[in-house]
Amino acid sequence: MLEVNDIVTAYGKIEALKGVDLAVSQGQVTCLLGPNGAGKTTLMMTIAGILRPKRGSIRFNGQDIAGKPARMIVEQGIVLVPENRLVFRDMTVEENLMAGAFSRSDGKTVQSDLEAMYERFPHLQERSTQYAGTLSGGEQQMLAISRALMARPRLLLMDEPSLGLAPLIVEDIFRIIRELNDEGMTVFVVEQNARMALQVADHFYLIEQGKVVFDGTPGEMEEDEVIKRAYLGKKI
Amino acid sequence: MDLVDFVQSITDGLLFGATYALIGIGFTMIFGVMHKINLAYAATSIAGAYVSWAVGTLLPLPALVTFVVAAIGGGIVGYLVYLCCFKFIPVTSPLATLLGTVGMLILIDEIIVHETNGMPQPYPALFDDVYFEIGEFYGIRGDLLFIFFLSLIATAILLYILYRTKLGIATRAVAQQPVAAQLCGISIERTNASTFVITGLLGGLAGAMIGASVGVLSPLLTLPITIKGLIVTVIGGLGSIPGAIIAGLLVGAFENFFQALRGVTERDMYVMLLLFAFLTFRPGGIFSKTTSRD
Repeated sequence: MLEVNDIVTAYGKIEALKGVDLAVSQGQVTCLLGPNGAGKTTLMMTIAGILRPKRGSIRFNGQDIAGKPARMIVEQGIVLVPENRLVFRDMTVEENLMAGAFSRSDGKTVQSDLEAMYERFPHLQERSTQYAGTLSGGEQQMLAISRALMARPRLLLMDEPSLGLAPLIVEDIFRIIRELNDEGMTVFVVEQNARMALQVADHFYLIEQGKVVFDGTPGEMEEDEVIKRAYLGKKI
Repeated sequence: MDLVDFVQSITDGLLFGATYALIGIGFTMIFGVMHKINLAYAATSIAGAYVSWAVGTLLPLPALVTFVVAAIGGGIVGYLVYLCCFKFIPVTSPLATLLGTVGMLILIDEIIVHETNGMPQPYPALFDDVYFEIGEFYGIRGDLLFIFFLSLIATAILLYILYRTKLGIATRAVAQQPVAAQLCGISIERTNASTFVITGLLGGLAGAMIGASVGVLSPLLTLPITIKGLIVTVIGGLGSIPGAIIAGLLVGAFENFFQALRGVTERDMYVMLLLFAFLTFRPGGIFSKTTSRD
Protein backbone atom coordinates (compact mmCIF):
# COMPACT_ATOMS: atom_id res chain seq x y z
CA MET A 1 0.00 0.00 0.00
CA LEU A 2 2.77 2.38 1.01
CA GLU A 3 6.30 1.97 -0.30
CA VAL A 4 9.09 4.21 0.89
CA ASN A 5 12.20 4.02 -1.28
CA ASP A 6 15.58 5.54 -0.47
CA ILE A 7 14.09 8.57 1.24
CA VAL A 8 16.57 11.24 2.34
CA THR A 9 15.28 14.14 4.42
CA ALA A 10 17.63 16.81 5.71
CA TYR A 11 17.44 19.72 8.12
CA GLY A 12 19.81 22.11 6.42
CA LYS A 13 22.93 20.06 5.81
CA ILE A 14 22.21 17.43 8.44
CA GLU A 15 20.54 14.37 6.99
CA ALA A 16 18.04 12.91 9.45
CA LEU A 17 16.99 10.17 7.06
CA LYS A 18 19.82 8.64 5.06
CA GLY A 19 17.97 6.52 2.56
CA VAL A 20 15.06 4.80 4.28
CA ASP A 21 13.33 1.84 2.60
CA LEU A 22 10.22 0.28 4.03
CA ALA A 23 6.74 -0.84 3.08
CA VAL A 24 3.34 -0.91 4.76
CA SER A 25 0.91 -3.61 3.64
CA GLN A 26 -2.80 -3.04 3.37
CA GLY A 27 -4.81 -4.20 6.36
CA GLN A 28 -1.79 -4.60 8.61
CA VAL A 29 -0.45 -2.78 11.63
CA THR A 30 3.16 -1.89 10.93
CA CYS A 31 5.32 -0.64 13.75
CA LEU A 32 8.43 1.51 13.57
CA LEU A 33 10.83 1.24 16.50
CA GLY A 34 13.93 3.24 17.16
CA PRO A 35 15.80 5.32 19.72
CA ASN A 36 15.37 9.08 20.16
CA GLY A 37 16.82 11.00 17.25
CA ALA A 38 16.77 8.03 14.90
CA GLY A 39 14.49 9.86 12.48
CA LYS A 40 11.11 8.29 13.27
CA THR A 41 9.23 11.58 13.50
CA THR A 42 11.12 12.95 10.49
CA LEU A 43 9.95 9.95 8.46
CA MET A 44 6.33 10.44 9.57
CA MET A 45 6.48 14.16 8.78
CA THR A 46 7.99 13.39 5.38
CA ILE A 47 5.27 10.89 4.48
CA ALA A 48 2.59 13.34 5.68
CA GLY A 49 3.99 16.10 3.49
CA ILE A 50 5.10 18.48 6.24
CA LEU A 51 8.77 17.95 5.39
CA ARG A 52 10.08 17.64 1.84
CA PRO A 53 12.51 14.82 1.13
CA LYS A 54 15.76 15.66 -0.65
CA ARG A 55 15.45 12.54 -2.74
CA GLY A 56 13.71 9.20 -2.91
CA SER A 57 10.14 8.20 -3.61
CA ILE A 58 7.06 7.47 -1.54
CA ARG A 59 4.46 5.48 -3.42
CA PHE A 60 0.93 5.20 -2.13
CA ASN A 61 -1.19 2.73 -4.10
CA GLY A 62 1.22 3.17 -6.97
CA GLN A 63 1.25 6.98 -7.01
CA ASP A 64 4.35 8.93 -6.07
CA ILE A 65 3.45 11.34 -3.30
CA ALA A 66 6.93 12.38 -2.16
CA GLY A 67 7.20 16.14 -1.74
CA LYS A 68 3.50 16.80 -2.36
CA PRO A 69 1.88 19.34 -0.03
CA ALA A 70 0.21 17.97 3.10
CA ARG A 71 -3.23 18.98 1.86
CA MET A 72 -2.97 16.67 -1.16
CA ILE A 73 -1.66 13.80 0.93
CA VAL A 74 -4.63 14.09 3.28
CA GLU A 75 -6.91 14.05 0.25
CA GLN A 76 -5.14 10.89 -0.94
CA GLY A 77 -6.10 9.23 2.34
CA ILE A 78 -2.96 9.36 4.47
CA VAL A 79 -3.51 11.09 7.81
CA LEU A 80 -0.99 11.51 10.62
CA VAL A 81 -1.73 11.67 14.35
CA PRO A 82 1.27 13.81 15.27
CA GLU A 83 3.66 13.38 18.16
CA ASN A 84 2.53 15.34 21.24
CA ARG A 85 -1.02 15.29 19.86
CA LEU A 86 -1.01 18.93 18.71
CA VAL A 87 -4.69 19.51 19.38
CA PHE A 88 -6.07 23.00 18.73
CA ARG A 89 -6.05 24.09 22.36
CA ASP A 90 -8.27 27.15 22.04
CA MET A 91 -10.89 25.39 19.98
CA THR A 92 -13.66 23.19 21.37
CA VAL A 93 -13.52 19.43 21.05
CA GLU A 94 -16.18 19.54 18.37
CA GLU A 95 -14.36 22.25 16.42
CA ASN A 96 -11.20 20.12 16.55
CA LEU A 97 -13.13 17.25 15.02
CA MET A 98 -14.65 19.49 12.36
CA ALA A 99 -11.17 20.77 11.52
CA GLY A 100 -10.19 17.13 11.00
CA ALA A 101 -12.95 16.83 8.40
CA PHE A 102 -11.75 19.96 6.58
CA SER A 103 -10.73 18.08 3.43
CA ARG A 104 -14.22 16.60 3.03
CA SER A 105 -17.13 18.33 1.38
CA ASP A 106 -19.94 15.87 2.16
CA GLY A 107 -21.67 17.62 5.07
CA LYS A 108 -24.13 14.84 5.89
CA THR A 109 -21.62 12.02 6.23
CA VAL A 110 -19.33 14.32 8.23
CA GLN A 111 -22.17 14.77 10.70
CA SER A 112 -22.75 11.01 10.97
CA ASP A 113 -19.00 10.43 11.36
CA LEU A 114 -18.99 12.97 14.17
CA GLU A 115 -21.68 10.96 15.95
CA ALA A 116 -19.77 7.73 15.30
CA MET A 117 -16.68 9.33 16.82
CA TYR A 118 -18.63 10.32 19.95
CA GLU A 119 -19.88 6.75 20.18
CA ARG A 120 -16.35 5.39 20.02
CA PHE A 121 -15.01 8.02 22.44
CA PRO A 122 -17.84 8.82 24.91
CA HIS A 123 -15.46 11.05 26.90
CA LEU A 124 -15.23 13.40 23.94
CA GLN A 125 -18.99 13.72 23.71
CA GLU A 126 -19.17 14.73 27.38
CA ARG A 127 -16.59 17.42 26.67
CA SER A 128 -17.70 18.40 23.17
CA THR A 129 -18.07 22.11 24.02
CA GLN A 130 -14.96 22.27 26.21
CA TYR A 131 -11.71 23.74 24.95
CA ALA A 132 -9.30 21.03 23.88
CA GLY A 133 -6.56 22.63 26.00
CA THR A 134 -8.52 21.76 29.16
CA LEU A 135 -8.55 18.02 28.41
CA SER A 136 -6.20 15.55 30.09
CA GLY A 137 -3.30 14.10 28.13
CA GLY A 138 -5.14 10.86 27.44
CA GLU A 139 -8.27 12.66 26.32
CA GLN A 140 -6.19 14.89 24.05
CA GLN A 141 -4.66 11.79 22.48
CA MET A 142 -8.13 10.35 21.89
CA LEU A 143 -9.13 13.68 20.37
CA ALA A 144 -6.07 13.71 18.11
CA ILE A 145 -6.86 10.18 16.93
CA SER A 146 -10.51 10.93 16.28
CA ARG A 147 -9.60 14.21 14.56
CA ALA A 148 -7.43 12.19 12.17
CA LEU A 149 -10.23 9.64 11.68
CA MET A 150 -12.61 12.45 10.72
CA ALA A 151 -10.66 12.77 7.48
CA ARG A 152 -11.59 9.15 6.67
CA PRO A 153 -8.02 7.96 6.15
CA ARG A 154 -7.13 4.80 4.28
CA LEU A 155 -3.75 4.76 5.99
CA LEU A 156 -3.48 6.05 9.54
CA LEU A 157 -0.02 7.19 10.66
CA MET A 158 0.53 7.51 14.41
CA ASP A 159 3.62 9.08 15.93
CA GLU A 160 4.19 7.78 19.46
CA PRO A 161 0.56 7.75 20.59
CA SER A 162 1.53 6.45 24.03
CA LEU A 163 4.09 9.17 24.78
CA GLY A 164 3.76 10.49 28.32
CA LEU A 165 0.51 8.72 29.10
CA ALA A 166 -0.48 6.54 32.04
CA PRO A 167 -0.28 2.74 31.49
CA LEU A 168 -4.06 2.29 31.60
CA ILE A 169 -4.53 4.90 28.88
CA VAL A 170 -1.74 3.37 26.82
CA GLU A 171 -3.67 0.10 26.93
CA ASP A 172 -6.78 1.96 25.81
CA ILE A 173 -4.93 3.39 22.86
CA PHE A 174 -3.64 0.02 21.77
CA ARG A 175 -7.13 -1.42 22.14
CA ILE A 176 -8.33 1.31 19.77
CA ILE A 177 -5.53 0.55 17.30
CA ARG A 178 -6.58 -3.08 17.33
CA GLU A 179 -10.27 -2.17 16.89
CA LEU A 180 -9.47 0.11 13.97
CA ASN A 181 -7.34 -2.59 12.38
CA ASP A 182 -10.10 -5.17 12.86
CA GLU A 183 -12.42 -2.79 11.00
CA GLY A 184 -9.97 -2.81 8.11
CA MET A 185 -7.81 0.26 8.78
CA THR A 186 -4.16 0.08 7.79
CA VAL A 187 -2.01 1.56 10.56
CA PHE A 188 1.63 2.62 10.58
CA VAL A 189 2.65 3.44 14.13
CA VAL A 190 5.85 4.78 15.68
CA GLU A 191 6.25 3.32 19.14
CA GLN A 192 8.94 3.19 21.80
CA ASN A 193 6.95 0.75 23.86
CA ALA A 194 7.92 -2.40 21.97
CA ARG A 195 6.20 -4.69 24.44
CA MET A 196 2.82 -3.04 23.81
CA ALA A 197 3.47 -2.88 20.09
CA LEU A 198 4.07 -6.65 20.00
CA GLN A 199 0.41 -7.14 20.90
CA VAL A 200 -0.92 -5.38 17.82
CA ALA A 201 1.74 -5.18 15.13
CA ASP A 202 2.00 -7.52 12.16
CA HIS A 203 5.34 -6.21 11.02
CA PHE A 204 8.26 -4.37 12.60
CA TYR A 205 10.93 -2.01 11.39
CA LEU A 206 13.79 -0.73 13.47
CA ILE A 207 15.40 2.52 12.45
CA GLU A 208 18.72 3.80 13.77
CA GLN A 209 20.56 6.96 12.74
CA GLY A 210 18.38 7.47 9.70
CA LYS A 211 18.55 3.94 8.33
CA VAL A 212 16.40 0.85 8.63
CA VAL A 213 18.43 -1.79 10.46
CA PHE A 214 15.81 -4.45 11.10
CA ASP A 215 12.80 -5.59 9.14
CA GLY A 216 10.73 -8.56 10.24
CA THR A 217 7.69 -10.15 11.82
CA PRO A 218 7.01 -10.06 15.57
CA GLY A 219 8.36 -13.61 15.80
CA GLU A 220 11.62 -12.68 14.12
CA MET A 221 11.89 -9.64 16.32
CA GLU A 222 11.66 -11.66 19.49
CA GLU A 223 14.48 -13.83 18.17
CA ASP A 224 16.77 -10.90 17.47
CA GLU A 225 19.32 -10.62 20.27
CA VAL A 226 19.97 -6.89 19.90
CA ILE A 227 16.31 -5.92 19.86
CA LYS A 228 15.62 -8.26 22.73
CA ARG A 229 18.20 -6.53 24.85
CA ALA A 230 17.50 -2.95 23.85
CA TYR A 231 13.73 -2.93 23.39
CA LEU A 232 12.21 -5.87 25.19
CA GLY A 233 14.49 -5.83 28.21
CA LYS A 234 15.01 -9.60 28.22
CA LYS A 235 18.17 -11.04 29.65
CA ILE A 236 20.20 -13.03 27.20
CA MET B 1 -13.81 71.95 30.92
CA ASP B 2 -17.22 71.21 32.30
CA LEU B 3 -19.11 67.98 32.59
CA VAL B 4 -20.97 68.44 29.31
CA ASP B 5 -17.79 68.79 27.29
CA PHE B 6 -16.27 65.88 29.17
CA VAL B 7 -19.13 63.49 28.42
CA GLN B 8 -19.52 64.76 24.88
CA SER B 9 -15.87 64.36 23.93
CA ILE B 10 -15.72 60.85 25.33
CA THR B 11 -18.92 59.83 23.54
CA ASP B 12 -17.68 61.16 20.20
CA GLY B 13 -14.32 59.49 20.78
CA LEU B 14 -15.92 56.14 21.60
CA LEU B 15 -17.93 56.26 18.39
CA PHE B 16 -14.92 57.21 16.28
CA GLY B 17 -12.89 54.59 18.13
CA ALA B 18 -14.88 51.97 16.23
CA THR B 19 -12.65 52.67 13.22
CA TYR B 20 -9.55 52.11 15.34
CA ALA B 21 -11.11 48.87 16.55
CA LEU B 22 -11.46 47.64 12.95
CA ILE B 23 -7.88 48.61 12.14
CA GLY B 24 -6.71 46.92 15.33
CA ILE B 25 -8.64 43.75 14.45
CA GLY B 26 -6.86 43.69 11.08
CA PHE B 27 -3.39 44.02 12.60
CA THR B 28 -4.17 41.47 15.29
CA MET B 29 -5.69 38.90 12.92
CA ILE B 30 -2.71 38.95 10.59
CA PHE B 31 -0.44 38.62 13.60
CA GLY B 32 -2.58 35.81 15.00
CA VAL B 33 -2.52 33.77 11.81
CA MET B 34 1.00 34.45 10.54
CA HIS B 35 2.82 35.68 13.66
CA LYS B 36 4.00 38.58 11.57
CA ILE B 37 3.29 42.29 11.65
CA ASN B 38 1.94 43.82 8.46
CA LEU B 39 2.97 47.47 8.72
CA ALA B 40 1.27 48.22 5.39
CA TYR B 41 -2.13 47.38 6.87
CA ALA B 42 -3.29 50.92 7.69
CA ALA B 43 -2.01 52.05 4.28
CA THR B 44 -4.14 49.26 2.77
CA SER B 45 -7.10 50.67 4.59
CA ILE B 46 -6.54 54.24 3.36
CA ALA B 47 -5.80 52.87 -0.13
CA GLY B 48 -9.18 51.14 -0.09
CA ALA B 49 -10.84 54.46 0.72
CA TYR B 50 -8.90 56.13 -2.09
CA VAL B 51 -10.03 53.42 -4.52
CA SER B 52 -13.64 54.27 -3.71
CA TRP B 53 -12.85 57.99 -4.03
CA ALA B 54 -11.27 57.38 -7.45
CA VAL B 55 -14.25 55.32 -8.61
CA GLY B 56 -16.49 58.08 -7.27
CA THR B 57 -14.78 60.73 -9.42
CA LEU B 58 -15.43 58.64 -12.53
CA LEU B 59 -19.05 57.88 -11.85
CA PRO B 60 -21.06 59.34 -9.00
CA LEU B 61 -21.80 56.73 -6.36
CA PRO B 62 -24.40 56.77 -3.62
CA ALA B 63 -22.54 57.23 -0.33
CA LEU B 64 -23.43 53.75 0.91
CA VAL B 65 -22.01 52.14 -2.26
CA THR B 66 -18.80 54.14 -1.70
CA PHE B 67 -18.30 52.19 1.53
CA VAL B 68 -18.76 48.87 -0.26
CA VAL B 69 -16.31 49.88 -3.02
CA ALA B 70 -13.80 50.94 -0.37
CA ALA B 71 -14.07 47.54 1.32
CA ILE B 72 -13.55 45.72 -1.98
CA GLY B 73 -10.63 48.01 -2.81
CA GLY B 74 -9.10 47.24 0.58
CA GLY B 75 -9.53 43.52 -0.04
CA ILE B 76 -7.72 43.74 -3.38
CA VAL B 77 -4.88 45.88 -2.00
CA GLY B 78 -4.63 43.52 0.97
CA TYR B 79 -4.17 40.58 -1.37
CA LEU B 80 -1.52 42.50 -3.34
CA VAL B 81 0.36 43.21 -0.11
CA TYR B 82 0.25 39.48 0.64
CA LEU B 83 1.62 38.65 -2.80
CA CYS B 84 4.41 41.23 -2.65
CA CYS B 85 5.52 40.95 0.96
CA PHE B 86 4.58 37.49 2.25
CA LYS B 87 3.79 34.78 -0.26
CA PHE B 88 7.24 34.27 -1.72
CA ILE B 89 9.34 35.18 1.30
CA PRO B 90 10.25 32.22 3.54
CA VAL B 91 8.70 32.20 7.00
CA THR B 92 12.16 31.94 8.49
CA SER B 93 13.04 35.52 7.56
CA PRO B 94 10.64 37.67 9.57
CA LEU B 95 12.71 40.84 9.08
CA ALA B 96 12.38 40.58 5.32
CA THR B 97 8.58 40.59 5.49
CA LEU B 98 8.57 43.37 8.07
CA LEU B 99 10.74 45.62 5.93
CA GLY B 100 8.77 44.57 2.86
CA THR B 101 5.62 45.92 4.48
CA VAL B 102 7.39 49.16 5.42
CA GLY B 103 8.29 49.52 1.74
CA MET B 104 4.71 48.80 0.80
CA LEU B 105 3.49 51.46 3.24
CA ILE B 106 5.76 54.05 1.62
CA LEU B 107 4.85 52.89 -1.88
CA ILE B 108 1.11 53.17 -1.26
CA ASP B 109 1.65 56.59 0.31
CA GLU B 110 3.69 57.77 -2.68
CA ILE B 111 1.12 56.49 -5.20
CA ILE B 112 -1.59 58.43 -3.36
CA VAL B 113 0.51 61.61 -3.20
CA HIS B 114 1.39 61.27 -6.88
CA GLU B 115 -2.17 60.70 -8.03
CA THR B 116 -3.72 63.48 -5.96
CA ASN B 117 -0.81 65.95 -6.11
CA GLY B 118 -0.68 65.65 -2.35
CA MET B 119 -3.95 67.53 -1.97
CA PRO B 120 -6.59 66.27 0.47
CA GLN B 121 -9.69 65.03 -1.35
CA PRO B 122 -13.28 65.46 -0.18
CA TYR B 123 -14.94 62.27 0.96
CA PRO B 124 -18.69 61.85 1.26
CA ALA B 125 -20.14 61.47 4.73
CA LEU B 126 -23.36 59.71 5.53
CA PHE B 127 -25.96 61.15 7.90
CA ASP B 128 -23.74 64.13 8.67
CA ASP B 129 -26.89 66.28 8.67
CA VAL B 130 -28.42 64.16 11.39
CA TYR B 131 -27.96 65.12 15.00
CA PHE B 132 -29.67 63.40 17.88
CA GLU B 133 -30.24 65.69 20.79
CA ILE B 134 -30.22 64.07 24.15
CA GLY B 135 -31.56 66.26 26.91
CA GLU B 136 -30.68 69.92 26.95
CA PHE B 137 -26.92 69.78 26.43
CA TYR B 138 -25.94 66.46 24.92
CA GLY B 139 -26.11 65.11 21.41
CA ILE B 140 -24.80 62.43 19.10
CA ARG B 141 -23.51 63.07 15.59
CA GLY B 142 -25.39 61.01 13.03
CA ASP B 143 -22.31 60.27 10.93
CA LEU B 144 -20.38 58.97 13.94
CA LEU B 145 -23.33 56.87 15.05
CA PHE B 146 -23.53 55.44 11.54
CA ILE B 147 -19.87 54.41 11.38
CA PHE B 148 -20.19 52.96 14.85
CA PHE B 149 -23.06 50.71 13.81
CA LEU B 150 -21.36 49.87 10.54
CA SER B 151 -18.29 48.63 12.38
CA LEU B 152 -20.49 46.68 14.80
CA ILE B 153 -22.08 44.91 11.84
CA ALA B 154 -18.69 44.31 10.19
CA THR B 155 -17.31 42.87 13.43
CA ALA B 156 -20.37 40.66 13.85
CA ILE B 157 -19.94 39.30 10.31
CA LEU B 158 -16.24 38.70 10.96
CA LEU B 159 -16.94 36.82 14.19
CA TYR B 160 -19.59 34.78 12.39
CA ILE B 161 -17.06 33.82 9.73
CA LEU B 162 -14.41 32.98 12.32
CA TYR B 163 -16.60 30.92 14.63
CA ARG B 164 -19.33 29.47 12.43
CA THR B 165 -17.79 28.62 9.08
CA LYS B 166 -15.25 26.18 7.71
CA LEU B 167 -13.04 29.08 6.63
CA GLY B 168 -13.10 30.31 10.23
CA ILE B 169 -12.12 26.92 11.62
CA ALA B 170 -9.24 26.79 9.14
CA THR B 171 -8.12 30.31 10.07
CA ARG B 172 -8.13 29.60 13.79
CA ALA B 173 -6.51 26.20 13.28
CA VAL B 174 -3.61 27.75 11.38
CA ALA B 175 -3.26 30.46 14.03
CA GLN B 176 -3.12 27.96 16.90
CA GLN B 177 -1.22 25.04 15.49
CA PRO B 178 0.06 25.35 11.91
CA VAL B 179 1.51 21.84 11.69
CA ALA B 180 -1.67 20.16 12.90
CA ALA B 181 -3.70 22.40 10.59
CA GLN B 182 -1.72 21.09 7.61
CA LEU B 183 -2.25 17.54 8.85
CA CYS B 184 -6.00 18.23 8.71
CA GLY B 185 -5.61 19.09 5.03
CA ILE B 186 -5.75 22.85 5.57
CA SER B 187 -3.52 24.84 3.23
CA ILE B 188 -1.53 27.43 5.14
CA GLU B 189 -0.92 29.50 2.00
CA ARG B 190 -4.61 29.72 1.16
CA THR B 191 -5.50 30.55 4.74
CA ASN B 192 -2.88 33.30 4.84
CA ALA B 193 -4.18 34.71 1.57
CA SER B 194 -7.79 34.65 2.73
CA THR B 195 -6.77 36.36 5.97
CA PHE B 196 -5.23 39.21 3.99
CA VAL B 197 -8.35 39.54 1.86
CA ILE B 198 -10.69 39.49 4.86
CA THR B 199 -8.62 41.97 6.85
CA GLY B 200 -8.29 44.07 3.68
CA LEU B 201 -12.08 44.21 3.36
CA LEU B 202 -12.34 45.33 6.99
CA GLY B 203 -9.53 47.83 6.48
CA GLY B 204 -11.08 49.35 3.38
CA LEU B 205 -14.31 49.79 5.28
CA ALA B 206 -12.44 51.40 8.17
CA GLY B 207 -10.65 53.70 5.72
CA ALA B 208 -13.97 54.82 4.28
CA MET B 209 -15.28 55.40 7.79
CA ILE B 210 -12.27 57.53 8.64
CA GLY B 211 -12.64 59.49 5.41
CA ALA B 212 -16.34 59.98 6.04
CA SER B 213 -15.98 61.18 9.61
CA VAL B 214 -13.03 63.46 8.89
CA GLY B 215 -14.65 64.66 5.66
CA VAL B 216 -11.46 64.41 3.60
CA LEU B 217 -8.94 61.80 2.56
CA SER B 218 -5.30 62.69 2.82
CA PRO B 219 -2.07 60.74 2.41
CA LEU B 220 -1.12 62.23 5.77
CA LEU B 221 -3.58 59.80 7.34
CA THR B 222 -1.62 56.61 6.74
CA LEU B 223 1.18 57.04 9.24
CA PRO B 224 -0.95 58.19 12.20
CA ILE B 225 -3.46 55.42 11.52
CA THR B 226 -0.64 52.87 11.33
CA ILE B 227 0.63 54.04 14.70
CA LYS B 228 -2.84 54.14 16.27
CA GLY B 229 -3.57 50.68 14.87
CA LEU B 230 -0.37 49.28 16.37
CA ILE B 231 -1.08 50.96 19.70
CA VAL B 232 -4.58 49.45 19.70
CA THR B 233 -3.13 46.04 18.87
CA VAL B 234 -0.57 46.20 21.67
CA ILE B 235 -3.04 47.53 24.24
CA GLY B 236 -5.59 44.90 23.26
CA GLY B 237 -3.04 42.11 23.39
CA LEU B 238 -1.39 40.78 20.23
CA GLY B 239 -3.66 38.28 18.54
CA SER B 240 -6.77 39.06 20.59
CA ILE B 241 -9.82 40.25 18.65
CA PRO B 242 -11.93 41.21 21.70
CA GLY B 243 -8.86 43.05 22.96
CA ALA B 244 -8.58 45.01 19.72
CA ILE B 245 -12.24 46.02 19.88
CA ILE B 246 -12.06 47.26 23.46
CA ALA B 247 -8.66 48.90 22.96
CA GLY B 248 -9.92 50.63 19.78
CA LEU B 249 -12.83 52.19 21.62
CA LEU B 250 -10.59 53.04 24.56
CA VAL B 251 -7.98 54.78 22.41
CA GLY B 252 -10.70 56.64 20.49
CA ALA B 253 -12.29 57.93 23.69
CA PHE B 254 -8.95 58.69 25.31
CA GLU B 255 -7.62 60.63 22.34
CA ASN B 256 -10.80 62.66 21.88
CA PHE B 257 -10.94 63.51 25.55
CA PHE B 258 -7.40 64.85 25.53
CA GLN B 259 -8.08 66.67 22.29
CA ALA B 260 -10.91 68.48 24.02
CA LEU B 261 -8.81 69.05 27.13
CA ARG B 262 -5.41 69.97 25.67
CA GLY B 263 -6.00 70.60 21.98
CA VAL B 264 -5.25 68.64 18.84
CA THR B 265 -1.50 69.31 18.91
CA GLU B 266 -1.00 67.59 22.26
CA ARG B 267 -3.53 64.81 21.73
CA ASP B 268 -1.24 62.10 20.38
CA MET B 269 1.25 62.66 23.18
CA TYR B 270 -1.30 61.34 25.65
CA VAL B 271 -2.11 58.35 23.50
CA MET B 272 1.61 57.53 23.52
CA LEU B 273 1.59 57.88 27.31
CA LEU B 274 -1.32 55.44 27.45
CA LEU B 275 0.75 52.98 25.42
CA PHE B 276 3.70 53.59 27.71
CA ALA B 277 1.54 52.89 30.75
CA PHE B 278 0.33 49.64 29.23
CA LEU B 279 3.81 48.53 28.22
CA THR B 280 4.99 49.16 31.75
CA PHE B 281 2.14 47.78 33.81
CA ARG B 282 0.44 45.32 31.50
CA PRO B 283 2.80 44.51 28.64
CA GLY B 284 0.64 41.64 27.40
CA GLY B 285 -2.28 43.98 26.80
CA ILE B 286 -5.83 43.84 28.14
CA PHE B 287 -6.32 40.24 27.02
CA SER B 288 -2.85 38.86 27.40
CA LYS B 289 -2.64 35.23 26.41
CA THR B 290 -1.52 33.02 29.23
CA THR B 291 -1.22 29.85 27.19
CA SER B 292 1.84 29.37 25.07
CA ARG B 293 1.97 27.59 21.74
CA ASP B 294 3.27 24.08 21.80
